[in-house]
Amino acid sequence: MRVRGWLFLVLLAVAVGAAGGQEARMGLTVEDTPSDDGRSLTVRWDGEADSPLDVRIERRMRDAAEYEIAGNARVADGEFRDLGLESDAAYSYRLVIDPEGAARTSAPSPYVSPQENFFRLFRVNALVVILLMGVLVVGYIMAARRGADLYIRRIAGLDAIDEAVGRATEMGRKILYVPGIISINEPQTLASLGILGYVAKLTAKYGTQLEVPNADPLTMAAAREIVKQSYLEAGAPEQFHENMVHYITQDQFAYAGAVNGIMVRDKPAANFLLGWFAAESLLLSETGQSINAIQIAGTAQVTQLPFFVAACDYTMLGEELFAASAYLSKDPLILGSIKGQDMMKAAILVMVVVGVIMATAGVQGFVDWFTAL
Amino acid sequence: MKWAQKLLLVDRRIIFLLVFLGALIPILSPIGLIVQVSPPVRAIFDRVERMQAGDAILLSFDYGPSDGPELDPMANAILRHCNKKGIKVLGISLFPLGGVDMAFARMADLTRDLGGQNGIDWVNLGYKDGGQAAMKLMGEDFTAVFPTDADGVPIEEIPLMQGIRNYGDLEMAISLATSVLGEWWINLVNAQFGIDVAVGSTAVSAPKYYAYVEAKQAIGVMGGMKGASEYEELVERAYPDLAGLSRTATVGMDVQSIVHLVIIFFIIFGNIMYVLTQRTRREGI
Amino acid sequence: MKRQVPILLAIAASLYPVIAFFFPARGINTFNQGLDEWMVIIASFALLLGIISMIQVNLAKVRRRAKGWIFSVLTLLAFAVMASFGIFGGQGETVLADGSTRLEPFTWVFQFMYSPLQSTMFSLLAFYVASASYRAFRVRNIEATLLLIGAVIIMIGRIPLGKLVFPFIPEVAEWIMKYPNAAAQRGVIIGAALGAAAMSIRVMVGIERPYLGKS
Repeated sequence: MRVRGWLFLVLLAVAVGAAGGQEARMGLTVEDTPSDDGRSLTVRWDGEADSPLDVRIERRMRDAAEYEIAGNARVADGEFRDLGLESDAAYSYRLVIDPEGAARTSAPSPYVSPQENFFRLFRVNALVVILLMGVLVVGYIMAARRGADLYIRRIAGLDAIDEAVGRATEMGRKILYVPGIISINEPQTLASLGILGYVAKLTAKYGTQLEVPNADPLTMAAAREIVKQSYLEAGAPEQFHENMVHYITQDQFAYAGAVNGIMVRDKPAANFLLGWFAAESLLLSETGQSINAIQIAGTAQVTQLPFFVAACDYTMLGEELFAASAYLSKDPLILGSIKGQDMMKAAILVMVVVGVIMATAGVQGFVDWFTAL
Repeated sequence: MKWAQKLLLVDRRIIFLLVFLGALIPILSPIGLIVQVSPPVRAIFDRVERMQAGDAILLSFDYGPSDGPELDPMANAILRHCNKKGIKVLGISLFPLGGVDMAFARMADLTRDLGGQNGIDWVNLGYKDGGQAAMKLMGEDFTAVFPTDADGVPIEEIPLMQGIRNYGDLEMAISLATSVLGEWWINLVNAQFGIDVAVGSTAVSAPKYYAYVEAKQAIGVMGGMKGASEYEELVERAYPDLAGLSRTATVGMDVQSIVHLVIIFFIIFGNIMYVLTQRTRREGI
Repeated sequence: MKRQVPILLAIAASLYPVIAFFFPARGINTFNQGLDEWMVIIASFALLLGIISMIQVNLAKVRRRAKGWIFSVLTLLAFAVMASFGIFGGQGETVLADGSTRLEPFTWVFQFMYSPLQSTMFSLLAFYVASASYRAFRVRNIEATLLLIGAVIIMIGRIPLGKLVFPFIPEVAEWIMKYPNAAAQRGVIIGAALGAAAMSIRVMVGIERPYLGKS
């Protein structure tokens, strides 16, 4: 009897020890999440990749009585990031494996406090690239300021602007300028407004009628100011009237319908389709083609370029639109930034070639360095 | 050859008429062509199929009525797939012109066909302006962008939203997008928050998303009506009891096939006339 | 001051999110989050500007009895009706006492007028693509011929009929999309992104100031 009792106690101790060892084998660790704002902790455990079980992560603040649910995950995930914590508090975590089933609970972790970090280390790659671009752009701007001769190749679409305005003036018909359909926070819209200023100066000089229908109210406000200023600088403020630059609607196809109506009724001699466009690009350019208007288009929207190329006389592809301000104004500061941008593209090309060689040779580190953002 | 020159300058209305007939005839007399599934669509389906009951995804209705014929079938197929697997769907919209109404309509369809319940199986959080700003804020806390759902119910009172605070609590985000919104989801949300992103786009935008799929920034892409028909096919193969519920895109592929052939015919015809006129011009010199 | 203040504001507003991107300090990011929220609010208010402009332009046309003024009347009427439905009515469906559902007026107009109109406009693209393709895809030179061959392969490969005509065509089409297309897209995307970045730097350092109305 005594032997059986001892045997029972030994077996019980072994079972408890096995259970405790099983809990310890969950491998629960809690650490401060790196490169964050001091409000999160990362909980890790030994996760079997093919485990179908769920795990509930529970946390407790140092002076709290009870655990509360921090979140749910799968055992296979192996990691859980707890966000929205207080940075001056300390937290302890425990895991409940299979909470709806057998519900095994791990031993609690030691208390850990989240720490605010100074810098997001995983974004060093972005910082290096931004600094490189900044150095190149600012460097060439400074070179331009010192009088360096910076060459930009001929952009056919921009050269054709004078021809288009001249044609409209001779025919006595208006010029239709469509600055894209999106708001002024889009760089393509800003680039288009830069060209609009130049076109408006020409129309003011030659007395050609200009109409600028807009799909965005903020773009309309900026375009109106630009055209007004251009007419003032050209010495023809009396020719400007506010309805030259007007708002139609933000709705893509209603806007396209309205602009097509203007084209078919008023038959402008020249259409400028410059900026950000979506599916209405083909509707606009085909209608313009049907009324035999000279059409100059430009967009960085990759998906719309084929339509413009098919239907327009001149098309500016991507960066040519952004280079327009520099090209038209010949402002050395802007020319300098275009040059810097080109040099950055050359640097990217070098990085791509080096990356391909390294990846082919099995050196993954160079490629991986670019990955995390 | 003068006739070749005349044919080269054929009135565009004749082209329009033949395209119209090419679209009308398969609608009146369906052909029933079989859809082949492409890897980018299969990747999205497999990712959803690997999820378990109770998981949640974000479905962003970033399109309007004009893109409805291409993207509505995708929405229907995804909602039915999720409903079958017990996956919860958070519906939002970041597209101002009709996005929230497209969401309303698709979820009403789901409720009618499969009995999905608002607030339990799916929730429509409505529309929010701001685009990328809204996407960034959702990475911190959904309530910062959507304090209530589209019916005005506070988010804290919605059963589905319990335990869902930000992207970290979701398995993936699917954006049914027109224009640039799909790219924002990939470049901003996937890049900065690490959540898996898939895009359903119009056919004209689909080519650009291949670069992101190859770079593993997007799980997959459903391009236009073809992509929608492929997803419908996958759902029907996996769940035969859903067969016949949503085949809009599959039926539409008959029309697309014939219209493509009409366009190819005109391209070949135009080039033959072009070559003949060029030859005449050279002989004339 | 009239010029300096907007420029300083633009510089600060464009630099701040870049700083917040790299430095996670709570003080910096709380304000950055606030900027995002302001962006959401301002974007909503910007709609008002457009509404006012649209009303002004169309009223002026009606007053002057300009060409097509009747369409301006229709525009203003449609705007008033839809806005009233949206502001004073509801959205979605209402469940009636007998269990049937009734669409709210706003949703009814959206589903049965606005949606079909939008779909119709979008469907015009099919016809325009056909006429543009007929005109543009000519074997003028080697590049144009390659473009033509690629376009035809993709068009056949992306339809179910393609596999029936040439069994290997769908795989060829998919290969073109995955490799040459993706490579070309990447090139244009990188170029456009660099252009946008350079434009943003110019705005950030105050060289380009389109928000001031001077190009």
